[in-house]
Amino acid sequence: MKKLTQAVLLATLSLGAAHVHAATISKTFCVSSLSKTLSGTSVPFWGFSDCGSGGGMGGMGGMGGMGGTATVPGPVVEVGVGDTLNLSLSVNMMTPQEASPYNGHTIHLHGADVQTSEDGVPETNGNMVNGDTYTWSPLAGHEGSHMYHCHVHTVKHLEMGMYSTIIVRPKNASGAFINQLNSNVATAYAYSQNYILSTVDPAYHTAVGDSTVFADYNPVYFLIAGKEGKTTAAPAMTLAAAKNAKVAFRLIGLHSTNSTFEIKNSSGVAQSFTVYIRDGRALPVAKTVTSLDISPGQRADLIATTPATAGTWYPQVTYKKLRANADGTYPVYTNGVVYGKVTF
Amino acid sequence: MIRKLALYALLLIGQSTAEAAVRNFTLHIDNGTLNITGTGGTSLNVWGYGANQGLPTIPAPKLVVNEGDTVTITVYNHRSASHNFVIKNVTTDVAAIASGGSKVYSFTAPTAGSYLYSDTLNNNINREMGLYGAFIVRPADNSNTAWTGGPSYNNENVWVVSEMDKPRWNDVASTGGTVATATYKPNYFIINGQGGFDAMMNMSTMVMGTLNQKSLVRIVNTGQFSHSLHFHGNHFQVLTINGVRQPTPFEQWDTINVPPMSTAEVLYTINQYGHYPMHVHTAQAEGANGVYLNGAATMIDMQ
Repeated sequence: MKKLTQAVLLATLSLGAAHVHAATISKTFCVSSLSKTLSGTSVPFWGFSDCGSGGGMGGMGGMGGMGGTATVPGPVVEVGVGDTLNLSLSVNMMTPQEASPYNGHTIHLHGADVQTSEDGVPETNGNMVNGDTYTWSPLAGHEGSHMYHCHVHTVKHLEMGMYSTIIVRPKNASGAFINQLNSNVATAYAYSQNYILSTVDPAYHTAVGDSTVFADYNPVYFLIAGKEGKTTAAPAMTLAAAKNAKVAFRLIGLHSTNSTFEIKNSSGVAQSFTVYIRDGRALPVAKTVTSLDISPGQRADLIATTPATAGTWYPQVTYKKLRANADGTYPVYTNGVVYGKVTF
Repeated sequence: MIRKLALYALLLIGQSTAEAAVRNFTLHIDNGTLNITGTGGTSLNVWGYGANQGLPTIPAPKLVVNEGDTVTITVYNHRSASHNFVIKNVTTDVAAIASGGSKVYSFTAPTAGSYLYSDTLNNNINREMGLYGAFIVRPADNSNTAWTGGPSYNNENVWVVSEMDKPRWNDVASTGGTVATATYKPNYFIINGQGGFDAMMNMSTMVMGTLNQKSLVRIVNTGQFSHSLHFHGNHFQVLTINGVRQPTPFEQWDTINVPPMSTAEVLYTINQYGHYPMHVHTAQAEGANGVYLNGAATMIDMQ
């Protein structure tokens, strides 16, 4: 065992020497069922799990098994600029599935702009839905939050929970991740949180095939990172930060409604924050605002600085209907405000 | 002599406004049907504007002019109810065109951009039933630029994005019933009047081009839902949002939310080879009455 470790270490070192900073990150994902209790009700989900580092292991990758339990959202994937990501779907671990024509699963690298063969869309990739490896080598300028999600019968499979985020991070001269959103030193942060937005209509979780259920979306559970947070006393996300510290929030829109992100202090006053990246591309001019709309499929990477005096913030996502009121505002769903909490 | 002077004056005017032209359009308001083909498809009773009497189209005819043109649009109402015709941010006459009547709208074409027109009467019912279309203003010199001095493009798409609630709105309004407008659960989502199965093969809707070509995509949301459009294959530059030209360099997104009764213009560059979908990323908007991909979707064909 020790020898093996040494061999791996040596191999890693030699790889490091050969490719300087570029790493190859290989992961094999499995798909399985799970249930989540939301407001006291059990709701069935499908999720991804990391079931083994398939890189270089050939056929071993698919055997997984020990790979752990599927979660919603799925594993967060971090990849450095210049690295190569190989995300494999294990052919042996792809249950549950729908019946044909919506059998199988894929991984769509949302925002990666990869070749058609890597895009995970069955309708364009020759219906490769029974296991595949999806490869992406993000370049400088692609830093920020992206998504991955199953693109088979997306209206069903994404809603079922087959999603998470891929974070592209800048690296330093020795190839280690640095705590900046991108190469701009103004984007340095001390803390980082992934606010993965999603909504749940339980009817979509039991319907299958081309059901009329999928013509009408009525979400009743509203999540950040897979969790409810209906009150400031029971937030979906918590963070204990220092005073006068920079906190990065990555907003990842895997929901199916309108939404608005704000950070309010304990008096309910919206705090300003600076958006540096949208959809994995640096904004030419960073924008300092007190609220930001995130629509389905969008991402934003932003930074807020905690005050110099101790206190509490409540970062929050307000989920709103797609149809506007007469005055152009959007009705907020019942229980549509989901809270995070930052103490400093 | 006077005649000669008048002729000279005309010539002079012609010279000073070399590209400005007189553009006359006629629209007819009628009952019609919209067929969504393919699985999940249906025949919807609609009301629409058409270029010919008795032949309304969904969306209404695309009206294309150049900046500075003198535009005259005559609208005939052949339906039994009152209607109107309003180009948002362009025309101001919201008065009804009585049943059997007509109205003439004359104006100078505004600054280059993408606009939408619709019937604004009857608590959104007239619009939902199909009375909407795109009004496109090209630069005065008719060049392939988003505006005078703006970014240039090779190809151009106009996407009129909308949705219809067949059981609660179209079926009810078309038979003279009272639509309970507080409830709107659209089950058909369309781009240029087509579900995805047609729109993914419609070459005027598809983004198509060869390497390094640019497509200006003019997105007009005439529906009542926000539509969040996700482009595979490449990011796009955000040129305008609701007519507001964005500062340069333009932001690059892969998903843009277009609220109801608003517009956006994006520039998509063909940067590789392949076939990619463009679809609304909201769950039910991808289907026709629940049938996957026969909703608000089209294709990007990078040749």
